[in-house]
Amino acid sequence: MPIRPARVGRVGVIGHPVAKTAVVAKAVTPGPSPIAKTAVVAAAVTPGRRRRI
Amino acid sequence: MSEATLSELGPVDYVIVEFPAGATNFTGEMAGELLALVDAGTIRVIDILILTKNDDGSVDVAELSDLDDLGPLVAVEAELAELLAEDDVAHLAAAMDPGSVAGVLIWENLWAAPFASAARRSGGQLIADGRIPIQAIIAAIDADDALTEGA
Repeated sequence: MPIRPARVGRVGVIGHPVAKTAVVAKAVTPGPSPIAKTAVVAAAVTPGRRRRI
Repeated sequence: MSEATLSELGPVDYVIVEFPAGATNFTGEMAGELLALVDAGTIRVIDILILTKNDDGSVDVAELSDLDDLGPLVAVEAELAELLAEDDVAHLAAAMDPGSVAGVLIWENLWAAPFASAARRSGGQLIADGRIPIQAIIAAIDADDALTEGA
């Protein structure tokens, strides 16, 4: 389906070709789903968690 | 758009969500969640496109209005601003794999507008922003665990 004429010849807002980020590309390759680590991620962003520095 | 309106505009974000060939499972759940965000005043949808990247690399562009049955998304479609231009389509499709379909969503974060306006009135200037993918958090946790085990 061709692009709507109203979108042609206008200045864009994205500005540059978008690249699939490496971490996302890795996550969508075949293998265990990252969703399985939901609990671990939730723990990492739990309120009150502090950096161990 | 007037200067006053611009100063009250919330941050505008975009996502492009790819559905690999044979992996789509559209149940209407996404539309329902999107409508819930709109109805709650959390976001305002600015533009939506559905891109199909063919095996030869060419890209087909469908508007929301091109879909046969929009259902409750009719209300959202009526308010779209068609912000994206032809160049944007090419830029966004660059991230897609051949044979995949992707939804592109542009929205204004209405929830953030009051804070953003206050920051501007206070003399603040946005110098960087971004999103941290869940996958990046997982990778950081894995790396942290590996360091701990190796210590």
